[in-house]
Amino acid sequence: MTALPMLALVPADHFLIMTLYAFLVSAFFAILWREDRRERWKLFGILMAALVGGGLAVAWLMYPFPR
Amino acid sequence: MTPPPAPESARRSTSIAMVLAWLIPGLGHYYLGKRKTAAAFAVIVTLTFLAGVSFQGRLYTVEQGQPLTILATFAVFGTGLLNIAARLFSENPGGVILAPTYEYGCAYLLTAGLMNLLLVLDAFDIARGRKP
Repeated sequence: MTALPMLALVPADHFLIMTLYAFLVSAFFAILWREDRRERWKLFGILMAALVGGGLAVAWLMYPFPR
Repeated sequence: MTPPPAPESARRSTSIAMVLAWLIPGLGHYYLGKRKTAAAFAVIVTLTFLAGVSFQGRLYTVEQGQPLTILATFAVFGTGLLNIAARLFSENPGGVILAPTYEYGCAYLLTAGLMNLLLVLDAFDIARGRKP
């Protein structure tokens, strides 16, 4: 599949792709599940920290087992 | 004394809202009068889908002997017209399995579809008055 020219500028960096994913998912659920602006920011922060922090924790735990 | 007017969402058709929500991300919410929320959902879901295509992920189809592809196909078809357009205009809808970002692309595409299916259910709840 031909990569879209604009998004193809995004480098194939695992952490960046994971962070972008966490950002999009966190924003989606914050808007879906909360009505108040302050509550949305709070949930966004919690989800973002959980996804990025959880990803890093799993990566750290898997480090001794590369295969 | 006249009763207060019903909210805009209460005067809209549930089925139309759900079909619009499936066709184009955010359109169901726009139809129900939630303009800002609709714009935010449209940007998020479309960006997730386009990132998945750009990362050379796979637009799943059902395969014999691979029951999980049924679920994956259902998820990807959740993005409505985005999915159909990508299948029509892309050179390789099956993705590029050797690309380093292939797995990420698949995850993004599946997530975009599931997000939009949640928006269809959300539009249903709003149209029925179960959610403000």
